[in-house]
This record gives sequence, structure tokens and C-alpha cells, in this order.
Amino acid sequence: MIQYIDVHAVLRQSSAGEYGDLVTRSTGRRVRERIEQAMNAGAPPVIARMDFSGVGCVDYSCADEIVAKLSRAWGPPTVLVLRGLTESHREAIEPVLASHRLAVVLETSEGALHALGEPSVGTALLEQLVALRFATRQPGGTLALNAT
Amino acid sequence: MTRLVEVPTQFDDRSFDQFAGAFASATQNGERLLFDAHAADWASPLGLLGLLVAGEAARQQSATRELPLLAAPTQAEVLSYWARAGFFREAAPLFEIHGKLPKGRPADESDVLLPVTPVRAAEDVHEVVSRIQQRASAILASELGLDPKATMGFAMALSEACQNIVEHAGTGGWVAVQSYNWRRQLARRVVMIAVADAGVGFRHSLEPTQAKRFGARWGDAAALEAALIQGVSRFRDPGRGQGLAGIRRYLARWNGKIAIRSGTARIAIVPDWDDDVPLRDGLPPFPGAQVLILIPEQRDGQGVGVGAVKR
Repeated sequence: MIQYIDVHAVLRQSSAGEYGDLVTRSTGRRVRERIEQAMNAGAPPVIARMDFSGVGCVDYSCADEIVAKLSRAWGPPTVLVLRGLTESHREAIEPVLASHRLAVVLETSEGALHALGEPSVGTALLEQLVALRFATRQPGGTLALNAT
Repeated sequence: MTRLVEVPTQFDDRSFDQFAGAFASATQNGERLLFDAHAADWASPLGLLGLLVAGEAARQQSATRELPLLAAPTQAEVLSYWARAGFFREAAPLFEIHGKLPKGRPADESDVLLPVTPVRAAEDVHEVVSRIQQRASAILASELGLDPKATMGFAMALSEACQNIVEHAGTGGWVAVQSYNWRRQLARRVVMIAVADAGVGFRHSLEPTQAKRFGARWGDAAALEAALIQGVSRFRDPGRGQGLAGIRRYLARWNGKIAIRSGTARIAIVPDWDDDVPLRDGLPPFPGAQVLILIPEQRDGQGVGVGAVKR
């Protein structure tokens, strides 16, 4: 099962529509709790596909509060797949994950999957997606999700 | 009786300890203070915030709870700048101000990227981040030669610096951002972020979790070292301490500088274009914490190197 999470929409719901940036610990905590509520509503998803499109700034505190804590609490067996990331989002998220030896999967705008964070952990996540037949290797050698 | 605290005529990070010393000796008896800024002819954002911190602390320490007095600068252009920078708006509830102040609201001047803005809660940090992105993007690119992508990193660094107040100070504080010519060493433009509060300071914040580890070395300097260099936090949550580490990464990329003063110590990550001292202890005590972040103009796609330093 793939669960789709529109992070920008969750942020708007968590802040009464006031904010477009994922900054501060308390905002990160509220957003994470709403995401976890959604993930707890049914069977644990195999993939939590988190779309960051439309999110402005992501600071290190929110990167830790949302991505690192969800990664620690849910995966594996759940694999976090992040899409819609800008370069600055990556700059906030990647070192936070690496400092905890955590990883998630990054889905580029072209649909290619890459490890983000601790390389060995990320590689294992990609292998897990292939083993579960949620991802296949493309002709160019990159991985992509089968079901979108 | 009223005790005089002279505000340095050039009030920036270099004269901050002179001001802190005057403030520390004047506050010993709980008497009403008069901050004399009449001769001031320049104040950096850090200087303005330092004055607000002193005003708030003086009000709290005053035996009579009277507001401290402030003699405003007499030079018209200095008054105008302090007003544009939003200083008087924040100073009004903290001081009994004497002097002829300019009327009207702080202007939307290009050098003042963010006027003196209070930070009390997470909502204020959101507001600051939102405003700086609207305001600073073009200026950072055109004046500092920063890659437009660096603007978001700038907002991240600003957010984390402000959150130190919300998460650790135990009281409110202020932030201000300004671009100007850094005359001392660089002879080129910089953007300065100044964040200051009159809260508990780094030593008090970290004491419950770090004092035992440092033993006899524990003090303001050790607390600053633990926070900035080792990335420790008062929270046991392993994800804490990311903020200052993130600011350091951002500054390393753009050859920037950070200095933090708290209590009787000051620590700095000093880039090659600056001659600051990495760690100073035994300074005059000053309330709370004051953070200074400088990002220099980039030339030819590079940060300022040794060869570009002008002294």
C-alpha cells in the first residue's frame, strides 16, 4: 500500500492556513502528528510518499522533527519516499538524516529514486522496494516506482 | 539616584564589551539607569539589540520598577536610522526616552532587510522567515552576489537563530537584519543577522545536562563551546542541537562568521577575512545571549578569500 501525503496541505491544516514554511520545532511537531494520525488510520503503509511541493523554507528543526522522527518511528518496514523537494529542502534534510544514520528515498521530478541520508541505509531501502516489487530498474539503470 | 551608562559612539560588536562593562557596574545597586546615547553616531543591529536587552534587564532589576531613561542620539541622521531600523518602536515600552524622535513608522529602506522585530513565540519566527524571503531575495543576489538558492539557506539560518530564543531563553528577544558596508576588514558589503535576548543564557540553559561533564571547567565559555562546537542541547532528544550545526554549515559554504556572547564569554567561528578571537572568557557579565551572523559579499562566485582581505 502506498500512502500519499501532501505535506503543504498538512502544514496549512496544522497552522490554520497561515504558513507556507516548515520552520520551528512546534510546527514540525504538529505536522508530524497529523501525518502519523493519517498513517495510523489504516494498515501500516509500505510506502509513505511525502510530497513537499509548494512548501517554502524547511529548516533543520522541522527536518528533524518531521523526516528524521518519522523515519525512525516508521521505517522500515515503511519506506518514506520524498518528492517535490527543492535543493534547499535537501540541504536541510540530508545532513539531519546523516547525523542520525537514517535515510529515506528521494523521488526526483523525473521519477528516479535515490537514497537520501546514510548511504548504506538508503541502499537497503531501495533494495527493499525492489524486493517488494514496488520499484523496478529502468533501462538507464535508475530505479522508479511501479505504481504511481 | 540615577546611574549613567554611556552608549559607545560607535556601538557594534567591538564596543559591546565596553557597554556591557558600564552596564554591569551601574546595575550593582538596583538604582535607576540613564542610558546616554546622545553622542552616538553609529550603531550596528547588534548594538541596537544590546541596548534593548540592557533596557529590559534594567527594568527587571530596578528596585523601584521604574523604566530606565534613554537619552536618544542628537544627530538627525542617526536618529533617522535608529527609527528606520525599528529601534524606537521596540524601545518605547522599555525606556523613558528623552530626545526629539522622528515621527512615523519605520520606512521600508533597502539596507534594513528586517527592522528590529520581537521574537517571543514560534509564530514570530514564521513571520520573520516569511518577511525575509519576500524582502531579502533580490538584495542578497544583487548586493551580495549570493546565488538566489542561498536565500532559502539564509532563511533557514535566520529561523534557527531566532528559535534559540523561543526554545532556550525563557523570555522574548529581538532580531534584526541589515546589509551594509563592512568597513573594518573587508571593504565590501555584508548582511548581518543580529539576535539577542535578556534570558537565562547558554550556561544556565545547559547546566542540568552538561555541567557534570565539564566539571571544574564549567562556565559561560564551556557552555558556548558545548553548544556551538559540540552541538549539544539541553534537551535529551537526540535530534536537538541541529540548529547551530546547520547555521555553521551554511556559513562555511558562504564563508560567513558567527559569534555568540552569553554571560561572561564570547565564542566565534572566524573566517579568514576576519581577525576576531575564537573564544574570550572573563568578559563583563551581560544578560541573556547575543548572536551575530555575518555573510560577506561574494565575488566571482567565491566567498572572500585571504587575498581579498583589506585591513
